[in-house]
Order: sequence, then structure tokens, then C-alpha cells
Amino acid sequence: MQTVRITVNGELFEETIPERMLLVDFLRDRLALTGTHVGCTHEGVCGACTIHLDGEAVKSCMMLAVQADGHAVTTVEGLSSNGDLSVLQRSFREHHGLQCGFCTPGILMNMTDFLQRNPEPTDEQIREGLIGNLCRCTGYVHIVKAVREAARTLASGNG
Amino acid sequence: MDIRIQDSKRWMGARLERKEDLRLVTGQGKYLADIVLPGMLHAVFVRSEYAHARITGIDTSAARELPGVVDVITGEEMKAKVKSLRQSVLLPNLPAKYPEYWALAVDKVKYHGDPVAVVIARDKYVAEDAAELVVVDYEELPVVVDAEQALAPGAVKVHDDEADNEMFAMTFTGGATPEEQQRNDEEVERIFQGADVVVSNRFRVHRTGITPMEPRGVLCDWSLADGLTAYITTQRPHIDRLALIDILDIPGEKVRVIAPRDQGGGFGVKAPFFRENVVISYAARKLNKPVRWIESRYESLMSVGQERDQINDLEVAATKDGKLLAMRNRGIANNGTGQTGVYWGFVMPFLGQVEMPNVYTWEKGDIKLRVATTNKACLTPSRAFGHFPTRFAIERSVDMVARRCGLEPSEVRRRNMVPKLPYTTITGEYLDSGDFLKVWDNLMAHVDLAAFRKEQEAARAHGRYLGIGFACGAELSGVASELLVPMENQPGYGAATVRIDPRGKVLIFGGDAPGGQGHETTVAQVVAATFGIDPSDSLVTTGDTGSTPFGAGTIGARAGSYFVSAVHKACKELKEKITYVLAHDLGVRATAEEFAFTNGDVIYLRDPSRKKTFREIVERIIMFPINLPEGEVGGLEATAFFEAAKPMICFNADCCIVEVNPVNGEFKIKRWVTAEDVGNVINQNIVDGQMHGAIVQGLSNVIFEEFIYTDEGQQLTADFENYKLATAADVPDIELTYASTPCPHTPLGTRGIGEGRPSSIPGALCNAVCDALSPFGIEITELPLRPGTLWAKIRDAQQLRN
Repeated sequence: MQTVRITVNGELFEETIPERMLLVDFLRDRLALTGTHVGCTHEGVCGACTIHLDGEAVKSCMMLAVQADGHAVTTVEGLSSNGDLSVLQRSFREHHGLQCGFCTPGILMNMTDFLQRNPEPTDEQIREGLIGNLCRCTGYVHIVKAVREAARTLASGNG
Repeated sequence: MDIRIQDSKRWMGARLERKEDLRLVTGQGKYLADIVLPGMLHAVFVRSEYAHARITGIDTSAARELPGVVDVITGEEMKAKVKSLRQSVLLPNLPAKYPEYWALAVDKVKYHGDPVAVVIARDKYVAEDAAELVVVDYEELPVVVDAEQALAPGAVKVHDDEADNEMFAMTFTGGATPEEQQRNDEEVERIFQGADVVVSNRFRVHRTGITPMEPRGVLCDWSLADGLTAYITTQRPHIDRLALIDILDIPGEKVRVIAPRDQGGGFGVKAPFFRENVVISYAARKLNKPVRWIESRYESLMSVGQERDQINDLEVAATKDGKLLAMRNRGIANNGTGQTGVYWGFVMPFLGQVEMPNVYTWEKGDIKLRVATTNKACLTPSRAFGHFPTRFAIERSVDMVARRCGLEPSEVRRRNMVPKLPYTTITGEYLDSGDFLKVWDNLMAHVDLAAFRKEQEAARAHGRYLGIGFACGAELSGVASELLVPMENQPGYGAATVRIDPRGKVLIFGGDAPGGQGHETTVAQVVAATFGIDPSDSLVTTGDTGSTPFGAGTIGARAGSYFVSAVHKACKELKEKITYVLAHDLGVRATAEEFAFTNGDVIYLRDPSRKKTFREIVERIIMFPINLPEGEVGGLEATAFFEAAKPMICFNADCCIVEVNPVNGEFKIKRWVTAEDVGNVINQNIVDGQMHGAIVQGLSNVIFEEFIYTDEGQQLTADFENYKLATAADVPDIELTYASTPCPHTPLGTRGIGEGRPSSIPGALCNAVCDALSPFGIEITELPLRPGTLWAKIRDAQQLRN
């Protein structure tokens, strides 16, 4: 067992956990932040567990929670502030960028990071950026559209 | 605008933002794995490492000794304590050899992944550890994984009690008696003898299917007073409830099944009744504690989401001007163990053969199917239920006929398409309504074929190989009882309860259990259009057998056809009552048609100044039921059932343009255009999204996904590294076009859509690739379609030419 101090969505948590506990389980089982999902057998392929570690998109099933000790984590629950959805979240609603919603939190986290690095992406860049997230419902068409439109909104300063 | 239809115009067909999405984009969805009960235990299954072996012993002692382990349950215990899964509620009314099996393997394991034991522990990590400590002694048995070998005389038997591995066999054409069928088959043979053109091929489609992003899961709670509450990732909670009652022998009033409000996709994979439901229910009852099992992706890919896996020896006879005359097909389906409740694997290939004639007119057909039991996982339904392999075979054959006749494949399709509906095909499938030619012509209007042929010719001069491919098909729009009773032993009607709240809100309860299709939104739009209120003024509840009317579940595109029709019917009944009371209160004699429900008001049309708000009148009827018309009572709640007299369909057509690199066989989809008949649309975004998703699932199945078994029955593809799904970078954008005809058999003219949609994808894509490679004379008859196999075909053709 080890005691860790991890800041999650701006709140500091000090928890004593088994060393082998995955970060995704720490978030879901200890902190009840169940927006982060598990869609593959901890192989990092489906991307549903994507979170931000110190602002960068990472897969929380590929990390032990103890590795996040002293770091800041943001989950999908932390994307909106004071009840206001982020531009990307709003865009996913507006453009029907989700169906079952299971992959959505991971995609939102990945694409939030992506848009910071690529403020004016082409569709091809968006599609390449989504390689780490699997979706079975949408055929990706509306996801690409939602990301593209969010980029435009952010660029126009209307975010 | 007519005041009576303005809200209908406003809400029907709108691209309304989904009501589901606020919670889903903020991480507030409640999926099965998000539900936690106090004191909950965790279950992990021990699964067979062999495809076929006798269990000679199971040593659970080391697992039991691990601190935190509560119990280890084996097949022997399950067999002693609960019934087998061969219960009448789960048996189709079709003549098959249904194997008897229990929730955990007894005596023998029959596929790689067969559940042998379950470990229950206080912590899920400990449960995983303990599962590793369960020692199972196996005596390996010979394995049969090939369908033809399984059907050969003297083959290894998968089920010891059966005479052979032929689980199901059927003739789909010619009549009810063997004599009629023989006469028919002779007539078919005569047509073939006299035909100008005959194309004969063996079509093989690999084992693939659909894998929802959320794996399965079960969470069961038990109490002495209330019995079993089972949360299950399921498309049919009401049927699961009946099965649990019968298998566990629990009185019906003590079983409640809840499909979580949010489910991470189903696509048919969550439609069967699964063994794990029984195991976890039993464990909760035995231990008197909540027990939860969350399926790992590994387990999921070992056990479910596997479909297709079929050979079709198809011959097609045609005239030299491309008129299709007759078909003869011999289908062989590889069913795996056949151990999955409701479908038993073979129901999918059964329906696939029924749908084989597709939308073409044939004089005669001779269609026969054999379904083999093998040491693979049992087939589970996967979107495009059953007809992915048969549609591939027929759509490829049409192109080969066209090539032999020197005609455009698109023209051959048009010449043979059913020109007028309704129509009954040679297998007896009823195609109810629509206009195939209108849809087809719409597709062709969006594809400039003549210009493409010029571009293709010019490109070939530069060594570039472009191709165009077409395919089309009719899909079921819901499944009528006429079909669902024989096929799955279940009723097809849609069921909905509509309860109006005194505050003017509307609560809808449905027996469906959606997984992303947007029921909450589409139903709210229908209710808004009917009552003239806002979609935000209603709430849809599904999935809970404790509060929803009985229904067969979310299967076969039932939402847009059966469920919304039932909702509409219940709303209409309530409107009658509301207007009856309002007319009485206003002191007028008026019919329901003389009132308009719009913009939150109920207006007397002969004198629009006389109106009440929707809230006022419903509150009056519910809360103040005095001074009512003679004989009337208060309250506003109605349950309605909707059934179509005959099966209904929707129709779609695809065009694909590809470029193939002849040097390495790689191909790129340059354009994908569709034309659809989806009937009247409720939410255009949702309809578009269904089509996009279905088409990409089809592409992913054709190009990437493949469940691979070794000859020893070892499954090699139980993770997403090896079972590859299409990513965003692998697939094209999609151009959807619509040429819809309202369905005359639903009250709103809507059709159920999206379920069968992937089935025309393999045909369209492979036809395009073959068109591109027509200078090499290459015909694709096997899936998956991979650059490597294409390259080999190109090389062989070049060597032959040289």
C-alpha cells in the first residue's frame, strides 16, 4: 500500500492504495468519477479511459495510480466549469457527435488536447488525431464534424 | 400554415440536439459498470483454454484460500441447483436440434472461452488473482472448427447427445412439402439448362461481427422479501426476466430486470440471453449479497460479437440482356457451439437465406441451408442480422452477370428490381412498401456514371485503376409478430405507456432497452408534435421491467417503427380524452379534430379565442376530476400496443468509388454515396448517424475485422490489437441522400432503420474493386478484403497473361 496525493479536477486527494491499482480504477472506484470508461483489456487501444495528466492526454488504463502521485489529473467531469460546457462539449451535442456515449469522454479529452496543439486542423488531421479512440456507433463522421466546428468556434473567439 | 400541423412541422424531422447528450458529454451517464451497491462482491470467470476437452477435475482449494475470496462455483453446482438454459421461453419455433447446456460448462468444454467456474471475491483484483489459482484438469478431445468437416460423416461430435453436428437444415423455396420442393427444384434446373448466362461461385465470408464499446455486465441483488433485482446490459430486459424466472425457478413477482439507462452500444450483441446472467443471479441468491461481473474485452472477443462465418455456393441464371431468372444456393453456416439463448446461433443464417433474393424479381429459386455445430463460440446476432454473407453473394453475382452480358451493373440492378410494392419474394419474404426505383434513380442522379467511365478510362491510360461499385438491399423495419413468433418465440408488438403529469409534463415508459439510438429524443419529438408541447417537457424511461410495459426489446430497428407508433397511439387516446373533457368544459359539442394542440395550448378551432393551456386542462383532468362529462373518470395515462399486420421494410442503395494500387493491392475509397428510403424522419441527425455508423461497421467488417481460430480451435484475436476495428483515419466521409416514401403502415409514416444497413457494404466495395481490376479479370468471392490477397490475385492474373 502506498499513500498518494493526486489533484483531480482541481481537488487534492490523499489516498492510501495498493501499488498495483490502475489509475482508471483509482478514478472510478475510489473517487467515483465514472465518466472515465474502460472499453478494452487495459491495452490502450480503445481510448475510452483517456484523461489529462498535467494537461496532456494519456490513457488512464495504461498507468498505475501511484505514477500519478504529485500530478494533476483532469477527467471528463472537469471539462465543464460552473455548469458551462466547453466549446468542444457543446459542439458534440450540436453536431450529434455521439450515440451510445461510451467512447465520448475519452474522445473529448483527447480532442481537447488535440485542439490546443492544432487550432486549425484539416479533416485528415482530425482523423489522424482520433486514431487512439475507437467508436462503434457513429462511423466517425459526426465526430470529425464536431471537432472541426469546435475549432472554428474557438478560432472565431466565440468560445 | 394550418394551426393543427405547425408543431408537427416544427418537431418532426428536426435536427434536434439529443436529450441524452448533456449527461453523456459531461461524464454523468450511468452505464452498468457505474452502478455500485453496498457490500457488492466481484465475479471473475474461469474460462476454458481448450476448444474441446473433457473436464476431469477442478481444484478450487487454492483459490478459496486466498483472503477475500468468498466462493468459487463450478458447473456441477450450477447443474445441481438450477435448470439448464434449454427453456421454452428461449427456444425459437423452428425445428432445430437445441443442445442442452448449463450456465457453466458441465463434463466438457466446447469452445475456447467456455465458462468453467466463477470466482466471487470482495475485491475485483483479488477475484482476478483467485481465478488464476483455479486448477482445471482437461483431457483434450479432437476438435472440429470447419463447418464442412463438421457436417461430414464420422466427424467429431460437439454435443455428445446429438446424432451429428447438423444443428439445423432447411429449404426456403418451392413449397411446404418435399414433393413440391422437388418439383420446384426440377423447374429451377430446367431454367438453368436453358439460360444464356450462368454464374456459379463459392462465396466465403469470414467470422466477424459487431463489438459494442461497452462490454457486457451483470449486477444482481437478492433479498428474501423482494427476490432478485438484476441489472443486465441487455436489449431485451423483459425476455431476460422470463428466462431468469424459469431457469432459477423464482416466482415471477420476485424478479425484476433493469437494463441501465445508458448502454454502450448493443447492435444485436446484447440481444441474446446469456449464461452469465444465470451465474451471477444464482451467486447473489446463494451468498445473499450483491454480485457484479463486468466483462473484460478479452472475454467479450472470446465469446460474443461473432457472426457471418458462412459459405454460399450460389448459382445464378440470367438471359443475355441481364434479366435474372433463377438462383440456386447451398448455404453452410458455421454456428459454433449453438449455445446461446433466443438465437442458438442458427437463427441469423436462417434469416439470411430468407433475405437472399433481395429486392430482385426471380422466376424461381432453390435455396437450402445447413448449419453446422463446431468448436467455436456460438454466433451472436450482429447488425445486418444474418444477411451480411448472403447479400455479399447476391450482389457480387449480379455484377458478374452484368459483366458476362456486357452491361453496366447498375443497369442490371435497375432492370431486375421489384418495380412495384408490395411484393412477396421467392422465399416468402413480404416487402411491404416504398419505391425502389425512385431510390435507385436518386442514387444514380448523384453519381455521374458516364463521366466516371471517362475518368476511369483516362486514368487507366496512366496506369491508375479506378472502379465503381453498387449494391442495394431491403432491411426489416421492426420485426412483426408474424416473423418474430416463429423465429424467436416472442411477440413483435411495440408497447408504450404514456402518463401525463399534472404539471403538464409527459412521462413515457417503453419496454425497449436502447444503447445509443436516441430513444429519449425521438420519442420526445413525437410527443411534442402530438401534444403541441416542447420536447424538453417529456421524459422517457426504458429498460426497467418494474415500470415499463412488456415488450420484446430493442431489436431489428423497432424504435422508429414499432415503439414510436405505440407511443403515438397512446398519445392519441389521451388526446381524445382531453378534448372530450375540454369540449364539455367549454360547453360545446366538438370532436377531437376540432381542437388543435399547439404551442402549449389546446385551442377550439371554431373559436380560437376559446382555449386552455395544455397544463391547465391536464391538471384539471388529473387533479380535479369533478364536473366531468357523464360517465367519464379522471386521470391521464394510457398504454398502447402497436402491431403491423405484415413485416415492414426500409430500403437503401450504395455507390462506392475506389482506386486500387496494382503494385501492392492497396485500395482507397475515394467516394461513398448512398440513397435511402427511411420513411418519414423524426430526427434527421439521428437517422444520418445510424447510416454513418452502419456503413462504417460494414467497411470495418470487410476490410479489417476477423476472428481467427487455429485448427485446434484456439482463438487468436481476443484483443483489439489483433481484432482490428476501423479507426477514423481508416474510413471515408459518407454522402447520404434520401428519396423516402412514407410507410403506409405506421401512423407517422416512419420506418425503423439502421439495423440491416451494413449488409450492402461488402457488395458495393468489392464490386468497386473488381470494376477497378476488370482489366485483370479479377472477381472477389471471399472476405475479408485485404491488400495482400488482392495483390496475390493481381500477380496471378499478370502471370497468366504473360
